Amino acid sequence: MAAGSFFGSFDPSAFINALILGISIASIWLIAALGLTIIYGTAGVINMAHGEFIMLGAYSSYMLQNYFGLPFLLCVPAAFVIVAAVGLVLERGLIRYLYKRPLDTLLATFGVSLVLMQGVRLIFGSDPKYLAVPSIFTSNFQLGFVNISAFRVIVLAITIAAVVALWALFYRTRFGVQVRAVMQDKEMAASFGINSDRVYMLTFALGAGLAGLAGSLFGVLNIVLPTMGMGYVVQAFLVVVVGGGTLIGSVVAGGATGELQSIFAYFTNDTFARFVLYVLIVVFLRVRPQGLFAPSATRR
Amino acid sequence: MNIYHNATAQWLAYGVFFVLLAVVPMFVDDSFLLNQFATYGVFGLLALSISLCWGFGGILNLGQGIPFGLGAYGMAMTMQMQSQDASNPIPPFMLNNSLDHLPWFWEPFRHTALGIILALVVPTLFCAIFGGLMFRARVSGPFFAIMTLAMLSAWYTLILDVQPYTNGANGITPPGALKFGDYAIDPYSPVAYWSVLALLAVATVGGRLMTRSRFGLVVQAVRGDAERVRFLGYNVAGYETTIYTIAGFIAAVAGCCWVALTQYVSPAQLDTTFSLSMVIWAGIGGRLSLIGAIIGAFLIQGAQSYLGDTFLNTWLLVLGGFFILVVRFLPKGLAGLLETILGRFPLPQRGNSNGNSAQRLYPQPGE
Amino acid sequence: MGFLEIKQLCKSFDTTPVINDFSIEIVELTLCCLVGPNGAGKTTTMDLITGRQKPTSGQILFCEDDITGLDEHVIARRGIGRKFQVPAVFRDLTVRQNLEVAYSRSTNPLKNIFRFSDPGFVQKLEQVVAQAGLSERLNVEAGILSHGETQWLEIGMVLMQDPRLLLLDEPVAGMTEAEIEKTVAIFKELKKTNTLVVVEHDMAFVREIADVVTVMHMGSLLAQGPISEIEANARVREVYLGEAEA
Repeated sequence: MAAGSFFGSFDPSAFINALILGISIASIWLIAALGLTIIYGTAGVINMAHGEFIMLGAYSSYMLQNYFGLPFLLCVPAAFVIVAAVGLVLERGLIRYLYKRPLDTLLATFGVSLVLMQGVRLIFGSDPKYLAVPSIFTSNFQLGFVNISAFRVIVLAITIAAVVALWALFYRTRFGVQVRAVMQDKEMAASFGINSDRVYMLTFALGAGLAGLAGSLFGVLNIVLPTMGMGYVVQAFLVVVVGGGTLIGSVVAGGATGELQSIFAYFTNDTFARFVLYVLIVVFLRVRPQGLFAPSATRR
Repeated sequence: MNIYHNATAQWLAYGVFFVLLAVVPMFVDDSFLLNQFATYGVFGLLALSISLCWGFGGILNLGQGIPFGLGAYGMAMTMQMQSQDASNPIPPFMLNNSLDHLPWFWEPFRHTALGIILALVVPTLFCAIFGGLMFRARVSGPFFAIMTLAMLSAWYTLILDVQPYTNGANGITPPGALKFGDYAIDPYSPVAYWSVLALLAVATVGGRLMTRSRFGLVVQAVRGDAERVRFLGYNVAGYETTIYTIAGFIAAVAGCCWVALTQYVSPAQLDTTFSLSMVIWAGIGGRLSLIGAIIGAFLIQGAQSYLGDTFLNTWLLVLGGFFILVVRFLPKGLAGLLETILGRFPLPQRGNSNGNSAQRLYPQPGE
Repeated sequence: MGFLEIKQLCKSFDTTPVINDFSIEIVELTLCCLVGPNGAGKTTTMDLITGRQKPTSGQILFCEDDITGLDEHVIARRGIGRKFQVPAVFRDLTVRQNLEVAYSRSTNPLKNIFRFSDPGFVQKLEQVVAQAGLSERLNVEAGILSHGETQWLEIGMVLMQDPRLLLLDEPVAGMTEAEIEKTVAIFKELKKTNTLVVVEHDMAFVREIADVVTVMHMGSLLAQGPISEIEANARVREVYLGEAEA
C-alpha cells in the first residue's frame, strides 16, 4: 500500500483491524441513523429529539433491568416498544401540526429533546448508569490477528437484521406500499384511499422505536447518561444527509463514513479523524447535494 | 394601520431601548452586576445575528458557536500574549503541555491589532467559505442546519483535542484585562459596558438598515422562494452566503467582547447547547424582530442567572416546553404577540401610541 | 439566424427520454404558443431554456449566444423572463415589494446592501402596474391576492425584468373570461416590443394571440405553423385534440 510510505510505519494487521473496527463503527452509526432515515424519508421531518429517543431507550432498559429484573435480551425489544409509544404520543400531540413547516419541526423537536433530557436528569440524576449484560457478550474473541468484542458483533448482527426487516416491511408488505405511495405523492395516495395521517403516525413511532432499540445497545457499549444522545445524533444526521434519506442510501453512507472514520483514525487519532470526515462530507455535498440516493422532487 | 409596522414608531422604540440601556450604569453600583449586564449585550449580539440569518434570511443556523468561539479564541490568544514578554515568551499552559516554543499560528497574536483583526477575519472567512460551498451546492433548509451543527461539533472536538495549543477543556484564561497601548479596559467598568452596548447599537441599526435595503428585500424574497429569485437574475447563493457571513462576523465580534468581559474562553463556547440556545432566544423573542431577538436573549439569560444553578435543570425543562409552545403557536415569538396586540388598536393619535409601544418594548435588563 | 434557436435538444431522466431531438426557431417579436398533451415536454422545454434543468444533449442559442447549461440567474440576466405554471410570488412580501425584487437591474449582493432605491424603478413600476392593473393592491401582502391577481402579479414581475424573451407557462389558467380578455390585450401590446413563448391549453386563447403555434408530442416537434394550418393538420388532430378531450 502506497499510503504506508507516507505515514511512516505501516502495520498491515493493525490496518485490517481498523477496517474491521470500521464495520463495527458503521453498524453503530447505521443503527443510530435507521429511525431518523425512515422518519425523514417518509415525512420529511428532521427529528432533533432522535438522540434523546436513543437515550430513552438506554434508560428504559436500565429501568427494566434494575427495577423489574428483566434479562437484557428482553430489554432490547421492550425498549423498542416503550420508545415507539413515546414517539407515537409526540407525533399525535405535536409533530402532526407541523408537517408543512420543516424548519419548525426541527426546532420543535429540539425543544422536545431539551425537555426529555432535563426530565430524565431530574428523575434519574446526572450520574452515569450501567447496563449489565450476560458475561458471554463482554468477552473478546480472536479471529486470526483480529481482536473484536463479542458485543460489537451482536450490534452488527442486530443492525443487519433491522435493515433486512425494514427492507421487507417497505418492499414486501401492504403497509410498505402505502408508505412509498405517500412518500411519492401525498394527495395522489389520499385519492386512492390511503390514510397518510396514519402512515406518518406509524412511521414516526417505528422510527422512534428503532432509536430505542439502538439506545438499549448503546447503553452497553457506553455508559448511560442523560446527555448521551447528543453524541450519536450528529453522526446519525450525517448518515441521513449523505445517504439522501433512503434506506439503501443510509446503509451505504453508514458503511462508507464508518470505514473512513476508522481508516483516518488509524493514521491520526479519533478526534482528528472526525474533523477530517466532517470536512469531507461538506466537500461531498458540494458535489452531490442531494446525497447518494435521493428521490427526485419536481416542481411545476 | 398597525403601529407595529410604522417605521417612525419602530425607530423611536429603538432609540428609547438603547437610551434606557445606556443609563443603566448610573443606577448600578455593583460592578460584578454591571459586568454581567455587559455579557447580556454579547448575548444580544448573538441573538441579533441569528435573527438576521434565520429570521430575515430563512437560513437556520445551529452552528453560530463557530464564529463566536473562533472569535473568542482569537481574542483570548491576543490577550494572553499581552501578558507574555521577553523573559516569559510563551503561555504557561503550553509549558505544562511540554511545548517549548510558541506554535506558528500563535505568532501573529503577539501584536494586539493584528490579533484582533485575525479574531474577526478568520471566523468571517470560515463562514464565507463554508457558506459559499454549501449554498452554491444548494444545500438549504434543514440540511444546512444539520451541516452547521456537524461543523460545530467538528470544531468543538478539534479544539478540545489539540490541548497543547488551546489548553483543551480548561480553556484559556488571560491573566490581564485587554490593553490598547497603555490603556486597559477594565471589564467591570462602565466603559466596558458602554463599549459592548455601543457595538450592539451599531450592529442593530446597521442590521435594520440592511434589512430595509435592496439586499434585505432580496434576502427576504429568497426566504420565501429561493428558486423564483434565481429566475429574476439574482445569484441566490451569493445572497445567502453574504447574509450568513455577516451574521458570522457579528458573532465573531460578540466572541471578542465575551473574552474581553470574562477573560476566559473554553470549548464550552462551541458547545451545541449554547448555539442552540441562541436560536431559542431569537425564536422566543421573535426572529423577525431584531430588538425582539435581543430582548429574548436578555429575558432568558437573565432568568437563567437569576434562578441560579439550583434550579437550572428545572429551568431548562420549562424553557424547552415554552420553546415548543412558541414554535407551535407563536412562530413570530413575543414580538409577533405584540404585533397582534397592537393590531387590535388601529393607529390613533400618534404621540400617544408611540410612547406606549416604546414602553412595551422596553425590558428591564436582566429582568 | 433566429432569435431563439433550439437545436436537437434531448433530455432524459434516468433512461426515460422526455425531450427527444427537439428543434425549433423562434422569430423575434412574435408570439409563439407551445401546445401539446400532458407530458409532451412543454414545461421541461422551458426548464431547459431557463437553466432549471440541464439538457442531456443539444444546444440552445439566444441571440446567437450559446446559453446551454448556464445557471438560471445568468440566463435571466441575458433577458429571458419566466412565469411558472403554479404562480410563484413571494407571499409574505407586499405586491410592491414583489415588483421591486423583480426589478433586477442591480444584482450584486454587496452593492445592494448600500442601495435603498433604484433609479428608474418608480417609473417602471407605474408602467407595469398600469398594464397589469394592480394599482389598488400595491401595499397588500401577495399571499392574500386572489388566484387571478396572483397570475397578474407574476406576469407583472416578469415585465419588471424587461426581458427580451418572455416564457409564460399557462398564464390564463384559472382566470375568468373578463380577465382572459384583458390578458389578450396585454399580450398583443407586448408582442410589439418583446418576443413571447406561451404554453397554454386554452385553445380559444391560443387562437386569439398566437402568430405561430408549435405542437409538441412525446418530447418532439409534431407540427409548427399558423393556427389555421395546425387546426387542419390531421396528425395534430389525431394525437393532440383527440387525446386532450379524452
